[in-house]
Formats: sequence, structure tokens, C-alpha cells
Amino acid sequence: MKSVFRFLVLSSCLYGASVSITRAQKTPAEPEAAVIDDMDDYATIKVSDPLEPMNRVVFKFNDGLYDYVLRPVSKGYTTVVPTPVRSGIRNFFENIRFPVRFVNSALQGKFARAGLETEKFFVNSVAGLGGFIRISDEVPRLAAIPREDTGQTLGVWRIGSGPYLVLPILGPGTVRDTAGVVGDYFLTPINWNLRENLEWYTWQVHTGVQVVNGVNTLPDLLETYDAPRKDAFDPYIAVRSAYIQYREAAVKK
Amino acid sequence: MNLRTLFPNYAVVAAAVSIASLPIQARAAEASETLRAAVDEVLALAYDAKATTPLSVRVRPVVEKQFNLEIITRRAIGPGWKQFTAEQKTAAIQLFTDVVIRTYANRFEPGDRPVINYGKPVIPDAAKPALRELPSTITAAGKTFAVVYRVEQAGDSWRIYDVIIEGVSMIANWRSQLDPIFQKGGANAVIEALQKNLAQQPLK
Repeated sequence: MKSVFRFLVLSSCLYGASVSITRAQKTPAEPEAAVIDDMDDYATIKVSDPLEPMNRVVFKFNDGLYDYVLRPVSKGYTTVVPTPVRSGIRNFFENIRFPVRFVNSALQGKFARAGLETEKFFVNSVAGLGGFIRISDEVPRLAAIPREDTGQTLGVWRIGSGPYLVLPILGPGTVRDTAGVVGDYFLTPINWNLRENLEWYTWQVHTGVQVVNGVNTLPDLLETYDAPRKDAFDPYIAVRSAYIQYREAAVKK
Repeated sequence: MNLRTLFPNYAVVAAAVSIASLPIQARAAEASETLRAAVDEVLALAYDAKATTPLSVRVRPVVEKQFNLEIITRRAIGPGWKQFTAEQKTAAIQLFTDVVIRTYANRFEPGDRPVINYGKPVIPDAAKPALRELPSTITAAGKTFAVVYRVEQAGDSWRIYDVIIEGVSMIANWRSQLDPIFQKGGANAVIEALQKNLAQQPLK
């Protein structure tokens, strides 16, 4: 499932923590013209969605799948596995995805960022006990490196996002990002065929690693998916808008 | 012309720019400080272990004070707002206030209080000196998110009119949903949609 969509997860705490500003209580009867006349600032992002009828069917199917299959699995997992352990596993798999971020930073010409990713990988692998502890957060320059992926690289290369696409199980995406997921797959070490070089890396171990990664990612992904959907006037459009905005912003970073 | 002759000119220009931008910088700092105080106020409410009333009730005064709900409503509805009658506008703002409060209150999860770091305020458009973007990061449950608060000055106060989480604007998201409803059924359809949505998922 697409990690790209992890963002809104705690939009929760944020939108919450997000609030306020003020000194005076008074609300102007009519807001200032300079502020209210710029409606175009929020012009709805044009989304190519020629497959909307089909996408809505798949969206509904996914909702059922998430609610009746994945959510119970996720709930059971979070009940059994304590948060620090889940965080450690998440950190480990995120650390091991280093090639995805490094290669795509380089392919976008962001060599300084690729260097920082390398530094972060070594810091977490060595000082962070194999990546289980994200010790790099203690280093300001390594704490907030924008994560690059293949879909973003294609975007930086001026390849259009293509139509919006909702895939079974995988969820929201675009044609460009779907191609990006394929690229990311081959750059992710846990997908590599290591059996030829590592005797102990049997297919059982390989499958186990994939399952642990998938199940550990599930709670975050579902939380993320729920954030725009919850309370929405039209959940399909809410998720589509959130996804497209998020990806556009990621390409620009 | 060489560097030595250029230098004094640069110095004068730099000094002039610095002096001219002082009020703007001061106002930017003011907006930032007000935001910090407001966020602290909200977090204190949200993580008050002794509170007995629902969070939506506790945060209402803060939201009404700190958010520019009229601006949020009209922007969330989009160009169709101009075709709303005065009564429809009043109804829409009242309903949307509840939507914002619900969105806000529902987002808090039990657990540790999030850690917030603030960046430097940004003036997004020199032609609109009353607007600021206040970047921040919020870390909760081991995950960090980039959050930008869009605030505007109205009179002597600064008020939030949008929150952008990891690039996703709340207002743009609402508008993407409400504009098609307006296009289909006009102002009444939007108001009905707001009422229906609040009835289905009432404030807690």
C-alpha cells in the first residue's frame, strides 16, 4: 500500500494543535477586501478523473476490504504488539528503504539531499542499532529530509500525473505514481532476491519479512486513509483531493 | 566600477531595505507569537486530564476566537458564495463553524502531548502584507508532520484561515467537495449537505 499517503495520519493532532491566533475578539462584519477577493488562491485543483465511475466502485470495495479484513488485523496487531516495538520496526523498515530515497534524490539532481540521506542511513544503522532507533532525529540537518520516491522523480522530470486511479487494495494513486510504485519496489531491499547470496535467506524468511513489514505498516496507513475520509461530505472526493495535493506538494519539495 | 565602489551602495540599499521591512518583520513575529500562545491554549484544553465536558464544548470559544470562520466558510464554498443570500450566508457560517469545531475536536487522540517546533513566518505574497504563513512541525507518536498555518490580520488581531498539513490544505479539500454540490443544486444544496453531514456525525 502506498506509503505516500501516510501524511494525514495525525492531521489529527495537528488540526487540533493547529488552532488559533488572536488578540481582539471582534469579528469584522465584512472581512477585509484584500483577504476575501482572492478566491482564486483556492481554485480547486484540476484533477483528471475520467475513470471516476469505476474508481468509485473500487473505492467502495476498498472501504469494505479495509473495514472487514484489514482493520481487524490492524487492531489485533496493535493490541498484541506494544507501541515502542511497532515504532522500532517502522524505523527499521524505513531505514532500509534508503536506496529509494538516495537514488531518487540523485535522479532529481538533489545531490546534497542524497548525501544527507546517506549520512542518515549510516547514523541510524550504526548508532540506531540497525535502524530500530531513529537517532538521526537528534541531528537537526537530518531530522526533516523530504522523502523522495520514484513517482516524485517522474514528476520532477515533468511527466504529467495522468488520470487519478483507485486500485484494489492499494488505494488512491495516479498513473504516474503507480509507475513510481513499481520503481520503488525494485529499489527496496526487502524485495530483492537475496537467496542466491545468503543461504539463510530462505523464501520463508523472505515472506516473513514482507508480512511483518506489511502488518506493521497497516495501522499507520489506515489511520492516514481515515483522516480525510472521516467527516467528509463526499469521502471519495475528500481522499482524492488530499492525495493529489499531497503528491503535488511532495514533488515541489 | 569595482567592488569597493559598489560596496557603499549595497550597504545603503541593505540598510534601507532593513529599515523599511522592520514593521513587516515585527508584525510577522507578532503573528508567530500569537500562534504559539493559541496552540498552547488548545493543547492545554485537549490534554486536560481533569476535564469532564466534551472537547468540542471546551474548544468552541477558542475556535470562534482564533479562526476566521466567515473567511473559512466562504473560501470552502468557493465562487458560489457570491450567490448566497444574506440569510443563507449566516446559516452556512453557523453550520460550518460546527464542522470546523467537530473536525478540530475529533482529531485529538489520547496519548502523549505532541511536540511542536515553529519555523520563521513567511510573507507568501508581497502584495498582501496582511497574510502570513507560519510553518511548524508536529511530532506525535514517533511521527513528524509539516504543518503550515495561514493567518491574516484583521484589525489588530491575527486569525487562522487555513491549516496545511503535509501540503494538504483543509480549505482546498473542503472546496473540492462543496463546489460540485453547489454546481449541482445551488446554495440550498450546500446548506442541506452541511446539515446532513452534521446530523450524521454530530458534535460529541
